Amino acid sequence: MNITETTQDNVSRVELEGRFDANTCGTVEQFIREKIKEGMLQFVLNMEKVPFIASAGLRVVLVFARELQMNKGNLCLANLQPNVLRVFEISGLKNAMRIFDDMESAARSFND
Amino acid sequence: MQCVFLMIWKVPPEASTIDIANSCFPNLQFYEIIMQRLSFDFPASTVNLAKIGELAAHAGQKAGFSNVNIGDIQVAIDEACTNTIIHGLEKDSTRMFQLIIQWDAGKIEILIHETGVSFDPESIGLPDIEAPLEDRSAGGLGIYLVRKLMDEVKYSTDEDGVKTLYMLKRVK
Repeated sequence: MNITETTQDNVSRVELEGRFDANTCGTVEQFIREKIKEGMLQFVLNMEKVPFIASAGLRVVLVFARELQMNKGNLCLANLQPNVLRVFEISGLKNAMRIFDDMESAARSFND
Repeated sequence: MQCVFLMIWKVPPEASTIDIANSCFPNLQFYEIIMQRLSFDFPASTVNLAKIGELAAHAGQKAGFSNVNIGDIQVAIDEACTNTIIHGLEKDSTRMFQLIIQWDAGKIEILIHETGVSFDPESIGLPDIEAPLEDRSAGGLGIYLVRKLMDEVKYSTDEDGVKTLYMLKRVK
């Protein structure tokens, strides 16, 4: 899993590249945990280059989305591939999470 | 006195099993079902999950599944193997599990054999998938996905303690 990040207007834009499974979820978890420790509260995960997600990946986004929401922060997802979106849908997380078609819509949602 | 009968069937070399069956039972019609089978021994490490996903996609394509259903099979096999690696074999990469993927034109069957920690999948509560984010539990999703995405899922343990997870999905 490759992770690249840029920060703009206090929003951390995290681009993930690779499978998001039990083998790679720890890398993402550690990265976001570090950013939260640095004081970051708003995240958009760009999932454009994530071809596969398993429940281990769902668990990471669910835990951080819930934790950030309780601390007046936010975690959004953008650019999900159809099969990845399907896993969110079957798990009932499509409606529970903030999911956007593209990065700009996701970033704009923080101003609403 | 003991008698031993030896029965020898003389079969022309080009005769197939179907030809033999049809000649023996002329009143019945036999069809040949060719089942392909892959069998692997993997160490209990999550490093192999990507490779397992590729194998499942290959078998799913050969069996005639749609791309959406191949994705479903990949999720189910990933979740099942992850449970085996993490819970059954406690991520001890010196221990192995056997993965069998078999298919014909119409279905795929996946079997995982291992001798790890006992696990009762029925004891895992199903997640409340309607719950709002703040009430959602992060556990139980893997087994939920396996049951949701495959047509049949069975767990068994034989007398030697070998546990088997069997999953089946049919082409629709």
